[in-house]
Amino acid sequence: MALWRTAANPWGQDVLIGVSWDLMYAAIIVAVVYLIGHAVWIKTRPADEHMDTGAPPPGLPERIQRHSLAARVFHWTMSASMLVLLATAFVPVIGLQFPWVTIHWIAGVVLTATIVYHVIHSIVWQDFWAMFLIGFGEGVAHLKHILSAKAPAPPKAGKYPFDHRMFHHVIVVVGLGVIATGLLMIVRIDTPLWTPNPYLLADSTWGVVYVVHGMCGVSLIFFTAAHIYFALRPEKWWITWSMIRGWVDREHYLAHHDPAKWAVTGGTPPAATADASVSEPRDA
Amino acid sequence: MAIIKDMIPAFDLFQPTTVDDALALLDEHRGEAWVLAGGLDSYDWFKDRIKRPKVVVDIGGIEELRGISDAEGGLEIGSMTTLTEIVNHQRIRSEYSLLATAAEHVATPQIRNQGTLGGNISQDTRCWYYRSGWPCYRAGGNICYASTPKAMNREHAIMGTSRCVAVNPSDTAHALIALDAKMIVRNGGSPRVHDAEDFFIGPSIDITRMTVVKPDDLLTAIHVPAVWANAHFYYEKVRDRGSWDFQLVSVAAAFQVSGGTISDVRIAVGGVAPYPVRLVAVERLVAGTSGGESVANEAGELSVQGARALRHNDYKIPMMRNLVSRAVRSVT
Amino acid sequence: MAEKLIGTDIAPPDLVAKITGRARYSEDFRPDGMVFAKLLLSPMPHCRVRGVDVSRALAMEGVIDILRAEEVPQREGPREACLTDEPHYEGEPVLAVAAVTEEIAATAIEAIDVDFEPLPFVLDPLDSLRPGGPTAYSEGNRFARLPDAEQGDPPAWIDFKWTDTDFVEIDAGRMPNAEPLVEWSKGDVDAAFGGADLIVEDAIVHQSVTHHPMEPRTNMAYWENGKLFAHVSTQSTQRTKAAIAGAVGIDPEDVVLIAEYCGGGFGSKIAGTTVMQIPAILSRKINRPVMLRITRYEENYVGRARPGFQSWVKMAFRSDGKCTGVDLYIVEEGGAYGSGDNGTAGAIADLIYTPQNMRFRAVAMLTNTPPKSAQRGPGGAQIVSMLEPILAKAGRELGIDRLEMRMINAPDPDVVFGPRGTALTSVHAKEALEKGAEIFDWAGKQELSGRREGTKVTGMGVALSPYTAGSIGFDGLILVRPDGKLYVHQGIGNLGTHSISDTARPAAEILGLDWDQVEIVWGDSSRGMPRSAVQAGSQTTHAHTRANHAAATDAARKIRQIAAQSLGGSPNDYVLDNGRVFRRGGGAGMSFAQVAERAIQMGGEYDGHELPGDIHRETVPAAEMLAGEGLMGVAKDNYGRTGSTYTFVAGFALVELDVETGVVDIKEFVGVTDCGTVIHPRSLGAQLFGGCIQGMGMAMTQRWVFDPQYGVSFANRLYTARPPGMLDIPLDMKWDAVGIADPQTPVGAKGIGEPPVGAGAAALTTAIADAMGGRCLCRTPLTPDIILAELEGRDPAFGRLDQHVG
Repeated sequence: MALWRTAANPWGQDVLIGVSWDLMYAAIIVAVVYLIGHAVWIKTRPADEHMDTGAPPPGLPERIQRHSLAARVFHWTMSASMLVLLATAFVPVIGLQFPWVTIHWIAGVVLTATIVYHVIHSIVWQDFWAMFLIGFGEGVAHLKHILSAKAPAPPKAGKYPFDHRMFHHVIVVVGLGVIATGLLMIVRIDTPLWTPNPYLLADSTWGVVYVVHGMCGVSLIFFTAAHIYFALRPEKWWITWSMIRGWVDREHYLAHHDPAKWAVTGGTPPAATADASVSEPRDA
Repeated sequence: MAIIKDMIPAFDLFQPTTVDDALALLDEHRGEAWVLAGGLDSYDWFKDRIKRPKVVVDIGGIEELRGISDAEGGLEIGSMTTLTEIVNHQRIRSEYSLLATAAEHVATPQIRNQGTLGGNISQDTRCWYYRSGWPCYRAGGNICYASTPKAMNREHAIMGTSRCVAVNPSDTAHALIALDAKMIVRNGGSPRVHDAEDFFIGPSIDITRMTVVKPDDLLTAIHVPAVWANAHFYYEKVRDRGSWDFQLVSVAAAFQVSGGTISDVRIAVGGVAPYPVRLVAVERLVAGTSGGESVANEAGELSVQGARALRHNDYKIPMMRNLVSRAVRSVT
Repeated sequence: MAEKLIGTDIAPPDLVAKITGRARYSEDFRPDGMVFAKLLLSPMPHCRVRGVDVSRALAMEGVIDILRAEEVPQREGPREACLTDEPHYEGEPVLAVAAVTEEIAATAIEAIDVDFEPLPFVLDPLDSLRPGGPTAYSEGNRFARLPDAEQGDPPAWIDFKWTDTDFVEIDAGRMPNAEPLVEWSKGDVDAAFGGADLIVEDAIVHQSVTHHPMEPRTNMAYWENGKLFAHVSTQSTQRTKAAIAGAVGIDPEDVVLIAEYCGGGFGSKIAGTTVMQIPAILSRKINRPVMLRITRYEENYVGRARPGFQSWVKMAFRSDGKCTGVDLYIVEEGGAYGSGDNGTAGAIADLIYTPQNMRFRAVAMLTNTPPKSAQRGPGGAQIVSMLEPILAKAGRELGIDRLEMRMINAPDPDVVFGPRGTALTSVHAKEALEKGAEIFDWAGKQELSGRREGTKVTGMGVALSPYTAGSIGFDGLILVRPDGKLYVHQGIGNLGTHSISDTARPAAEILGLDWDQVEIVWGDSSRGMPRSAVQAGSQTTHAHTRANHAAATDAARKIRQIAAQSLGGSPNDYVLDNGRVFRRGGGAGMSFAQVAERAIQMGGEYDGHELPGDIHRETVPAAEMLAGEGLMGVAKDNYGRTGSTYTFVAGFALVELDVETGVVDIKEFVGVTDCGTVIHPRSLGAQLFGGCIQGMGMAMTQRWVFDPQYGVSFANRLYTARPPGMLDIPLDMKWDAVGIADPQTPVGAKGIGEPPVGAGAAALTTAIADAMGGRCLCRTPLTPDIILAELEGRDPAFGRLDQHVG
């Protein structure tokens, strides 16, 4: 299986030109194997448990906000553009041919815009470190628990559990990779806004750009498939709904999260309010 | 690996005598087989050692691919019919002279003796960057050398581009479009019939191919329906020298004229896009009129709307405009 | 009475062989054990070989050996070697592989890994002149003796640059008064411009084109008993023997050069070729015959090209149409190894406009493009094609008929021109123009000029194209053998003209022989060749009618002496006719066969055992070898002359320009020449037509195309280079000759090869300008895109001084 393609440039020098499409098939196969494997494996496991953390804090509302409207709009716009990017990138390779380039780069621009928004939004308005927390101890506990159900359950998480954070880290890397390279590649597209100048970089450099773009893109087949899979898993629906409705219910919150790590403020105790209001956690 | 040219590398040669045998060979050697018709395109690739198929399937011995016969009032032309045969054919000359004229503008008499109609419409582009074996988009790479700011692109496209700016060089393709021809392509199963203008695909769909024909397909015949027989035709090809030259721009047009009115029209232009361009809007403008100077000028202007020149091919815009006008003007 | 030979049509002796394919070119020989060589060419316009791995190639079955640059002669400075480790143009040969078949050799090339280090390159001489701009060589862009060098100092590398101020002008599309490398002037050109009634000035660009002779420069060589047997594709023969001997480092007498047929050279194979060294050296290394077949693709590279000019001209005119001043600046694209066409260009500009006041400046710069060499009318063809439309434009503005303009400015027999004040042996340019005008019916066609019918506009053009056409001082060597026949030993090459046999006619006429009694000995140096001219510069007809005339005169004298001695009386009593020598008025005589026998018996100078003291030392071995085989005529051409010998061709063309497509149709062409006495009419017509057509191609269809980013050439096959074809030339082509003998050469004949090129090109460029209402596009090739863009008023995508824009 080849990782990349090379060609002789006009001066007869061997240069990279792009990723090998073998990797696309590999990513699809790995994704399918992983998804099926996980689905089988999870059946052998008891339900997800976490350590008990003691009495819940008072005054927790029925619904705890997890994702603001802005965050949700960002997520779905970003994911729509991501799906369009993946489809326009790989479906023609598999064999269904259609004019994909324009849709692809426009979707890429949309993706870039959402990410730029997200970077600013998450740094300025959100709890940046909630996501970028390393949590090494938490990670080790998770790993032990995966390897053996008898190992102690990992501690309850803050807003973002360990596996979410790790997924996000990987996505940051491959996402920024595919976007940075994609923005360079846009210089080569002929649009009404600019004339292409493919000689901006040396052809060997462009080869690296294309290979990085391809590898990040191919890995995103796997990561997107895995992400959608987990989002659709029954035991995770409560999180998935929160990306649509914005909130998680109190039971799930208490079962999976440590209020000390993800504090939720405000609101009167549920019994005292006529309607179940959604409180604003500190990090709305 | 050092590069050398002008020396055809070795290949395994198969010379089937039936279409079924040829298709079986293409299937058996999927991914490494090349169809050889007259060779005028293939040998240039082989000589430069750029395309180096392991297997070459020479269809020159397949009788059922040759010949011109009557079909439902029109003509069925075997894909291996030579261009000289087209030029000299009685019925084509008298009823479908657009095709004979177009065929006669190809290259030289020697090339026409060996070149086939099927080959002529299936031929690959002559963009010299691509033909030099440079790893451009069309060759599976990640760049178009011809659309760079300083590139030598006087022979490239002014419309229909999508990363690739090469043109379809065929002299007969747009004539067949103007005759509403259909191409019959076979691949194991039952034959697929493609309208001429759908036979040619642009880079936005597949940047590595000029036509719908895939490596394991066989173009077996071209069907010219009776509908444009004896119409008024116009063909003109502009090239740098009088012979043995690909076009800069060319036009092929067919007009049904009755009672001084153009009742129906087809106009297609070559050399301006990665595929032969059928000018549907111009056809709509001209149909129903009686031609004439102002309609002709309007037609010309309309045909180049939206055209975008590269650095060195701006002249193609007035050239195309003028050729389209002349085609319409020829009716009066 | 022996038939008159000069001025008649006689089929050349090789006609049947050529038509039937029996003619054997270098490629057609296959000695035992012969192997094939293939070349590895540079992929980059300028680079250095950092490393070569030939192990995989040498391990292949059938591969014999590899030849590297260090094994072939290299010279200092920008001098071409047949193989190099620092290529200076894309396509330059780096190494050669010998294998038992060509297919194996090609596969072996692919198995070689060469690490090329790319270096900065330059395609446009102006880029090299720009301060900070790239130079074609790492060491600099000019190799010359420094200005303050002393006698005996070797040349050195320098960076010759113009100034930033100069480039302000260049970038605005104008030629600056920048420092030239060549300069000469006469009269006072500034005063001429000061007093002019009309000044016309413009930028003019003439492009390079590859020679593309029909036969690529294939060569085969082998060694036997210390002698080199070389089958070479070459224009000359005797001179090529010396060239290859020198290149390989052996005595010319150890070379047997075989070159019976050559499919054209046009100046790219004058004394053989650089690549002919490769089979010679490689076959010595591996001790087997080596055939190097050059492909059409490779012809685009090692096959040379004509240098291009980027120029500026300013011309002053009086109201009566006389040109009074010319200021000409030429920037020449010198290729990887330099060129000097500009010198001739300047001289010829002076000759055809006779301005009396002139300034000529030129700069030839090295560039990383294929090597330049003379190409049929070097310098002359370009400058005539470039400047004649300017003359026509001036005529239009002054309201003077363009033929009249041409006549007023054409040279008279007493013309003196060029930097060295050259005079000519004969000038009948005006007669050629008058005769051509009559045949073409210039006066009657006047109303057609500029006439529009439908979308077609008619244009007419007239041009005068001179070129040097004669040299002197070579040797003739002829033999009357005991079979009674005359054997004319030609050291000249058979490059596709007919001078190989036509130049023998004076000898036959002097000796009173019918043509069927004459054998031309040519093509194999081992048969004995006298010191001859190279086949270049259109000199052969002039030089070798003289040399053979001298040799025949020598033979005639000896024949009369033998007759007098054998039969009595004095030599002056005898005449030569019909293969016999006999007393005037009838009477005792001898056949030539008998004369030959007698000469052998008498020895001495009669049979070549004693030779004249002034023949060239290269002729001596040939004469010595033939001594004792018959009656020998051997002599040096001492006829002398007081001026240079030039031929003139007047060209007339009528074209139709389609203003909607830019397509030019050449409808009529007439070429009339002043080339002195006409030796072979049909051949002269072929040379006139062939040269004119080549000029038309140069002006209208053929081109060079480079990608500026990679410095790589694209017009490297005939279908992209686009030399003219049968359907580009007019159906109506006529020729004629003034036919007045040149008084300073015994036969009166001047050469013809080169002058027609400029005439064909310029008649076309002037006719197209006429059709465009007097606008001069001032560049070649004039392809439909350039013409249409001009007619439509669209912005050209190139600067006025840019080259290779198509």
